Amino acid sequence: MGDVIRTDGVDPGRNVGEYFRLQRWEIPPVNGGLSELAGRAPVDDHQRGAGGGLRTGGLLTSVDSIGGMLAGLSVQPQWIVTTSMMATVTRLSHRGPLRLHARVLRRGRNAVVTGLDVVDEGNRDLPVASVTMTSAVLDPGNMQHHFDRPIRSAMPPPSPNPQGIEEFFGIEAGAGAVTHLDLADHLRNPWGILHGGAVATLADVAACRAVAADRAGGGNGSGDGTADGDGRGRGGAGGLAAGDMVIHYLRPSRVGPVEARCKVIGGQDGRTLVRVAVHDVGADHRLVDLASVAVVEV
Amino acid sequence: MGAAGYPPERHLLSDLGIEAESIAESDTVARIRATPHIVAADGGVRAGVLATLVDLVGGSEAIRAARPDRMVTADLTLQMVRPAVGPFVEARGRVVRRGRTTLVIEAGVFDVSGEGSQATADAGDAPPAAWATMTFAIHAGNQSKASGDEGPRLPARWSFTGAGLEGPVVDALSLSETGAGGGEVSMPVREYLLNSFGAVQGGVMALLGEVAALRAFEGAGGPGGAVVTDLQVAYLATGRVGPIVSRTRVLGTCGDGPGTGGSRWNAVVELFDEGDGGRLATVINVGAVSPGPPAEGPA
Repeated sequence: MGDVIRTDGVDPGRNVGEYFRLQRWEIPPVNGGLSELAGRAPVDDHQRGAGGGLRTGGLLTSVDSIGGMLAGLSVQPQWIVTTSMMATVTRLSHRGPLRLHARVLRRGRNAVVTGLDVVDEGNRDLPVASVTMTSAVLDPGNMQHHFDRPIRSAMPPPSPNPQGIEEFFGIEAGAGAVTHLDLADHLRNPWGILHGGAVATLADVAACRAVAADRAGGGNGSGDGTADGDGRGRGGAGGLAAGDMVIHYLRPSRVGPVEARCKVIGGQDGRTLVRVAVHDVGADHRLVDLASVAVVEV
Repeated sequence: MGAAGYPPERHLLSDLGIEAESIAESDTVARIRATPHIVAADGGVRAGVLATLVDLVGGSEAIRAARPDRMVTADLTLQMVRPAVGPFVEARGRVVRRGRTTLVIEAGVFDVSGEGSQATADAGDAPPAAWATMTFAIHAGNQSKASGDEGPRLPARWSFTGAGLEGPVVDALSLSETGAGGGEVSMPVREYLLNSFGAVQGGVMALLGEVAALRAFEGAGGPGGAVVTDLQVAYLATGRVGPIVSRTRVLGTCGDGPGTGGSRWNAVVELFDEGDGGRLATVINVGAVSPGPPAEGPA
């Protein structure tokens, strides 16, 4: 008898989904195709970044939750793990709530590709982001997901003791262009590995810190300077926000702590590209994720 | 890829004059001359051409790393940090992760002063003009069609030498407009544009996406002379029959602060193989900058 995770329409990574107060509903297929999945998330003040809207790492956490769930539903009884995310961020300032809509673009034997659009429902449905995610199809083994279909979950209530994004994800500044994340249990998905949204948030924070440190250090690309201020809190590394992001989830992060090592590649017109290599320090420092983040002045 | 008669004499890769070299078991470089026919409005090599270059580098490395299995490009991203002005532009790639079913490669794009490995060495650690990543799907047990019975092997150095482009590279795609609003273009499938598997080359799809996005920007009221700086390409199915037709959504501008200047555009381009039942073949997220103040994109 295998372990049965009864999710009742809630993302298996429920801690992360609840933090962003993500509401979900399934859109059943019309003409024999595949279901689509929609979500809605408020933009709570403690989750806003320097751009004025939901911090991009947080945005991509909700994207990963919705896109990953849809991909998983499309291959049941198998399940999936996200392998890459390509995000184009159109707006950094949001009124909220944000509405997400995911559809399966391709369902293959080994991989599922999903496309997601995010709009600012509180601001005339203006486009916020367009994301393409790829997930690898896995044999779930003894771990089975059961869902009541169609998926429908209410928006969780606000937390009486709201934590900032960096605090929730256990992200702390390291030296220069290095940023750490403590791999706490509430950040793990059902496979026991670090949630893809946590990686996105770490990449967001780390890239902004690296750009700030690079500027403080004379802009030599090494990030050897010190980030402006503590690089934490509402605005991240002050005046900087993560925009477009590409993440390749190369290997699972199981042990932790996790460390983001950044290199500022270059940029112009207030937009700087940062390469972020994420290593699982507790697993012989092996490279687990590779990301690029476009950091913009705001 | 320079093996078993590919590409044919008349082929886009040949006319682009790309040369490539394996400098280690897991490192490949490819170069192209930055001619006026392949540059964008800012004087740098167009993003779609750079995508072709990095796809070639990635494909070469993937063939070696995945040998004897067959591989196809699953996704490709290209992010530019400044114009790649040459006189030669070089892509250098390396394998980041080789899994059972996928292979991830990253590549930098650099300006170099001349041809050959000495130019590469002279360039040293100069900052790149762009950074790219690619994922290749590995199909176990399938050998490359291009390599015949020998398995997919590549020479250490090869070049594609053709007559050269007679005009702007976009003209070589033989595009036609299919919609009044701009951004809807049609491209016939010809041998000139195919990869070694008989489908439209991945870089060509990226270039088509670049062109479709730029036309959509103008159709949405944006100024001419915009330059594509970012491509995020998901290859869902091969384009084999044609014509390949585009459908584009302009997403509007990014950011409100001084750094973004309000002149950054984004669009999503979907490419369909109309002759293959209208199958969705490729989705491309495009980022571009325009030289003047933008018009507000459609909500």
